[in-house]
Amino acid sequence: MIARIIRRLLAGVVTIACIYTVTFVMVVSLPGNPFEQGGRHLSVEVEQALRARYHMDNNWLYFWEFLQGALRLDFGPAFTYNDWTCNQILASALPVSLLLGLLAMLIAVMVGVPLGVLGAVKRGGWLDAATSGFVLLGVSLPTFVTGSALLTVFAVYLKIFPIGGWGTLAHLPLPAIALSIPFIAYIARLTRVGMLDVLGSDFVRTALAKGVHPRTVVWKHALKVAFLPVLSFLGPATAQAMTGSFVVEKVFGVPGLGQHFVNAALNRDSGLVMSTVLVFSTLLVAFNLVVDLLYAWIDPRVSESV
Amino acid sequence: MMRLVWLVCATVLVGTLSVYSIQSHEPKADLTYVNPSGIHTLDPARMSWLQDFRIALNIWEGLTSLDPETLQPMEGAARFPPAVSENGLTFTFTIRPDARWSNGDRVMAKDFIRGWRRGMEPGCATDYTFLFTDHIAGAKEYVTWRREAVVVLTALSRLKEGWEITARQARGLVLHEAFQRALGSNTDLAHDLEHDAGGQDNEGVLAAKFGRLNLDWSALHEEILDEHATRMEERFARIGIDAPDDDTLIVRLNHHCTYFLDLMALPVFYPCHRSIELLREREPGAPITAQGLVVYDPQWTKPKYPRNGYPGLITNGAYRMSDWIFKRRVRLTVNPFFREAHALSCRVIDMLVFENSNVALMAYEAGDVDFLPSMAVSYDHEIARLVRTGRRDDFHLCPVLATHFWNFNCVSATVGRHRNPFVDARVRKAFSLVVDKERIVHNVLNRGDRVAHSFVPPDTLPGYTPPEGLARDVERARRLLEEAGFGGGEGLGPIEMLYTANDERLAQAMAKMWERELGVHIELRAKESKTFADDKANQRYMIARGNWYADYNDPTTFLNCLTTGNGNNDSGYSNDRYDQLIAEADTLRDPIQRAAMLRQAEAIIVEEDCPILPIFHYTEPIAIKAYVKGLVPNARLWFPFRYVSVEP
Repeated sequence: MIARIIRRLLAGVVTIACIYTVTFVMVVSLPGNPFEQGGRHLSVEVEQALRARYHMDNNWLYFWEFLQGALRLDFGPAFTYNDWTCNQILASALPVSLLLGLLAMLIAVMVGVPLGVLGAVKRGGWLDAATSGFVLLGVSLPTFVTGSALLTVFAVYLKIFPIGGWGTLAHLPLPAIALSIPFIAYIARLTRVGMLDVLGSDFVRTALAKGVHPRTVVWKHALKVAFLPVLSFLGPATAQAMTGSFVVEKVFGVPGLGQHFVNAALNRDSGLVMSTVLVFSTLLVAFNLVVDLLYAWIDPRVSESV
Repeated sequence: MMRLVWLVCATVLVGTLSVYSIQSHEPKADLTYVNPSGIHTLDPARMSWLQDFRIALNIWEGLTSLDPETLQPMEGAARFPPAVSENGLTFTFTIRPDARWSNGDRVMAKDFIRGWRRGMEPGCATDYTFLFTDHIAGAKEYVTWRREAVVVLTALSRLKEGWEITARQARGLVLHEAFQRALGSNTDLAHDLEHDAGGQDNEGVLAAKFGRLNLDWSALHEEILDEHATRMEERFARIGIDAPDDDTLIVRLNHHCTYFLDLMALPVFYPCHRSIELLREREPGAPITAQGLVVYDPQWTKPKYPRNGYPGLITNGAYRMSDWIFKRRVRLTVNPFFREAHALSCRVIDMLVFENSNVALMAYEAGDVDFLPSMAVSYDHEIARLVRTGRRDDFHLCPVLATHFWNFNCVSATVGRHRNPFVDARVRKAFSLVVDKERIVHNVLNRGDRVAHSFVPPDTLPGYTPPEGLARDVERARRLLEEAGFGGGEGLGPIEMLYTANDERLAQAMAKMWERELGVHIELRAKESKTFADDKANQRYMIARGNWYADYNDPTTFLNCLTTGNGNNDSGYSNDRYDQLIAEADTLRDPIQRAAMLRQAEAIIVEEDCPILPIFHYTEPIAIKAYVKGLVPNARLWFPFRYVSVEP
């Protein structure tokens, strides 16, 4: 088990290093100037001196210096937002995104799993149709539509929640729900398929024949097996929910990490691009690892096969 | 297993709740407004975005300030008007005795010199250095001297590490005394290098030659850095800015400048408190970095920044910044030492960030926000209609000092694989004559902008009437095209239009007009904004969208952009007669004569040479709740909050 963890950790490090290298190459080969703002041009002398100061005039040096900084958890200055460092920007945005992402996954699991189970148990009934319909809508409707709809109904007309922003408890539910909808749909579908498989298997029939209450069979015995595909989905999904919430952030005015992902690239803010990418890839690798370990713990057959 | 899942869920929920329950609840602000994209920087020497200016003008005060209605200069931190010498070139400002920093210190003349110097020094300064070098005696010489040194020191710091240098850096280096001294008796080599550095296309050869030179680059770098650093103060003292005592600031100009007092209200001319020196970054033994830059810790604009005993940002305006949460909020509170602090009605002001203008407008409609200084929504024509029909008194359309235009590439013979016909002024003029601006403004955009026949917006700059420009004349355009050898569009390859996605509709409409009337083929190239800016600045386009916002109340803020070699001259236009007229106008003291000369110059660009094609002057929709008094819509969207009161 420990050897396995070490192997996976090493693989994770290699993955992140590859991601960093590819990102770096893309960032330095993009045209555009991170030092320029407001459409006014900087003098050539000063620009060259600034590039020299941050070692951006030599890609090798820049590559290693940024990497060294990143290993010390110092990502250097942000060029678009002169008054802040990448660390400060990440420190202000990451907790917001983590909280929002975790909350969204929480909602997704608490709603998605029961929906999937219901769909499987009442297979072919109206409840199954209703959940399938919901799943279809959730997967296909983009979040800027569902988000705007939630905002219009609950904030503008019903005035239950504030219209946008961040900082109080009331700001949380709407963006979390909007972010969770596609995940609910996906989890519900995974659970339903898994459940249908399991419900037809021998041990379920045996349990029912022995007179175990159908509810216990479904929720305790069958779900334990049917939950496995959901679990493997949860790793990357949680990382994605935490960092890829750009649209939701934009609709609800949430100061999270997703906006920096997009804006930093648009602004050619090389340091910020690489730091956001590094944070995201680390999260992704970490969550995948955690899920794999959980998997092995729940289903010992897995650890033998991997 | 499910138990584990529930445990995780419960922990997350409890964690969230506890984090939020310990957050203190602050009092609501008197005035809340939205800044669409957050603050880029609060460093007055660096800022160039209007949303940054909007905070800066409330927390700092220059020698003058601008009247919120007329935008005329009025009293600021100095008495108004200052004493002006007989020849109009020397201004003597007397700082008000009650001008105070937000920590109670007196505002002194040398605080202004410190602030202005940051606006000139390579390393701190960015876009607005030209305001010093254009106007203040000796500033140009100082900045040029500094920039040359930066080039040499940057080159040496690269050579030291064994990296290659550029031809520009090599040129700077071979001309430097210390370098020539280091070469010693080897004068042939010095001549050889000088000769090579003068050439245009031998960058590789030159770099290789420097690589082979066996000089002690570190020692040379240290020598030049030391020498430069010791001479900096003496060189700076030659600039026409003097503080004979704490209250007096004497400024000498290099030419007559009718709008100088207007400039004094701009952020780049704000003072700077001495505490910033605690955050200066330097090489050991020198006040500058290895590249010759003057650098301060960029965090000095934070309200709280405990490092080296730095007390946090100290400002001298009516307000001070008490809180700044990145991309979320800036909170301003009254500066207790401001001379009229007790009389200010608005005590606490919040600036919120909503990246999405629709959400900002929803928040405004719901009453969470009192003021929107811009409404960049996709249904802006609908907002314009609501204002025009008088259905919304709280929405305003502000005609602003800004022009939307298109650049023609006047210099490149070819663009990509195609010949660029716009080097011929007749072709530029032909294309300009065809565009139906009325149709674009009233039918395509329909958001209340004003049709532009000139580069400088009319009626808004005192004493200046722009030339009439070209009336639409398709026949004449066809004749001009024929004269240029492209009759009926024959011989013209595909014409490329470069712009960003925001201008898609406009570009399509213009392309249609040109294709229909001139028989040319237009290729539309919408690019992402940084790539667009890069292509435009390097003349990799035929026709490119441009826009310009006035920096100060004078036609030259527009007209200077098209002088030869100006950093913002994206069309690469150059005309000696135009440059001469602009330069000559600066020597005139009579405002009427001066305006006439500038008008003559502008006529060259909008009626003869046509390096740009002005389409419209912007109108900005803003929203102010009826209970907010004293916020006056004006042509520069300049909103000092000290005159604002909010009715309960």
